[in-house]
Amino acid sequence: MERVKNPFLRFGIYVILIGWILYSIIPFGWTVLTSIKRPIDANARVPMILGFQATPNNYTELWLNEPLKDFAPFGIGLLALILVLIVVAVLSKNWQRVSRPAVAAAIVLVLVGALLLLPKLTNMAEFYGYFLNSIIVTVGTVVISISIGCLGGYGLARYTGILSVVILVAALAFRALPRMAFVLPYYFLGQMTGLYDTYLLLILTLVAVNQPFTLWMLRSFFMEVPREIEEAAMMDGAGRLQSFLRVIVPITWPGIITTGLFTLLLAYNEFLLARILTQSNWTLPVAIAQYTSGEDASHLTVAAAGSISITLPIIFVIIVFQKYLVKGLASGAVKG
Amino acid sequence: MSRRTFFAFVSPSVIIMLLLMVLPLVTAVWLGFNFITFKNLATPQWVGLDNYSEVLSDPEFWASLRFTVLYIVITVPLEILIGFFIALLLDQVTKFRGVFIAASLLPFIVTPVVGTLMFRNVFDRTGLYTYLLRILFDYKLTMNTETVPLLIMLHGIWYSTPFAMITLFAGLQSLPQEPVEAATVDGANLFQKIWYVVIPHLRSLFIFIALIGIMDAYRVFDSIYVLTKQNPLFKADTVMYYNFKMALSFGQLGKANAMSILTVIGIFVVLIPFLVITYRQQTEER
Repeated sequence: MERVKNPFLRFGIYVILIGWILYSIIPFGWTVLTSIKRPIDANARVPMILGFQATPNNYTELWLNEPLKDFAPFGIGLLALILVLIVVAVLSKNWQRVSRPAVAAAIVLVLVGALLLLPKLTNMAEFYGYFLNSIIVTVGTVVISISIGCLGGYGLARYTGILSVVILVAALAFRALPRMAFVLPYYFLGQMTGLYDTYLLLILTLVAVNQPFTLWMLRSFFMEVPREIEEAAMMDGAGRLQSFLRVIVPITWPGIITTGLFTLLLAYNEFLLARILTQSNWTLPVAIAQYTSGEDASHLTVAAAGSISITLPIIFVIIVFQKYLVKGLASGAVKG
Repeated sequence: MSRRTFFAFVSPSVIIMLLLMVLPLVTAVWLGFNFITFKNLATPQWVGLDNYSEVLSDPEFWASLRFTVLYIVITVPLEILIGFFIALLLDQVTKFRGVFIAASLLPFIVTPVVGTLMFRNVFDRTGLYTYLLRILFDYKLTMNTETVPLLIMLHGIWYSTPFAMITLFAGLQSLPQEPVEAATVDGANLFQKIWYVVIPHLRSLFIFIALIGIMDAYRVFDSIYVLTKQNPLFKADTVMYYNFKMALSFGQLGKANAMSILTVIGIFVVLIPFLVITYRQQTEER
């Protein structure tokens, strides 16, 4: 569409857009403020936007078993880590020479190192355990789901038989079903097989419920690759699987990342499955939901600190992968 | 690709879907015919169609279905309308586009449980919006049977509009220039161009968003869980949430499974035309 030229109208457009942004992000901003307030300030009759005494206590109460006498070194270390990650993320967009896998490997190494080091330094609280559970379940789901999804999506993109359409439409139908129809049988089958409250059951069920979406999306990316490319590779003597791994996967890598990103979000955000299929191995969404009905004065501020702690990794993901996210949404096959 | 290679490639996916989607569905049907609670998990008791008739004569079930339909009818059109409006505005702007997109993605991408908590925070007794409502409109917001369903719908719009917006915005980027220019030559004003050129061009996207919106609104759960948990008397159960309560609060697993199967049948009635269309499209394209 052509641009509106009238300066008053253009001004109006910006005003509305800024209003829209505020509407979208005010709940986040407000929660950030609540998370650094003392309970007495958070429960004040007139909400305080400025002029309250900022405190890290909600975060330390959430993450640590014993209150720190001196927060400074710990906090500075944490801030430094976050800063390093953000700098790496922003820079990695501009580095052409440094290979992406190297940057990714560096980020993963820093994170895993920090995760292993933390409990050695201080006495971490239960919330840290839930955080680790979330990471294990999310990583497990993404790895399995994308591996088998790539194979399946490729098969569906290349096979012209009627069976491939049947599988696709069946997957679409499964995608539409309410989760409860699966979750209760999962619970029952999990109890019967003794898999209840294990990572394995949660990961496999997450893979299954996300598989329809993964197949559709990956298939659409593989369809974009002309058949001649792998035919040429197969002419040179490579097998079907080999030419897929060596030739097709590297070309469609951005699409695979996009799909992986949505799988990551779906696994990290899943509440109902984790709520019903775990008893002690809670993930973060299940843990935070327990804070919804606390009675004491500090539950509001601690829940806010928990909310922000859960959201920060997602904000990091948005900053690094915005391009892929928008691409995925635009491709129209999205949402599990 | 030969049939055998095809099977080799798709078998991991298909096996996991058979084991963890088809088998559970069959199990759900079977469980729905049994009297089963957490106490007699291993020894269910066959009761035939009793669970189904109990669910169908349960007024709470119909109330939850009514609220679900109301939720769909109100949130989905508003989501599309607002999303389209913002997408049109965003299309007019080049500066800060990335910032606008990233910020508006936030409600859609954040963990739904957490997003609802944050949304509740601003409407809480001590929240910012509660305060603004009090000083600007002299309205005292409390959580009750009227405001909670309203908040649930408001949250639904807040959460799902970004998806409609981004999808439609991407659609606007692919709008061909010629028909718009032709309309300009013919003297069409902005609204006529949007009505006669842009909307028909995006028709399939609108249908797609509406379909996803209906599917997701039909099974809305996380936000209800967070917004009604402090007080079960808020009378804002959706079908999914009532189903969950039937299983976890009342322990009636058989009845809950019967309810799931009924909701599955319900969504299929809506979906079948769409599935048929997709099947035809895919068969033609291959």
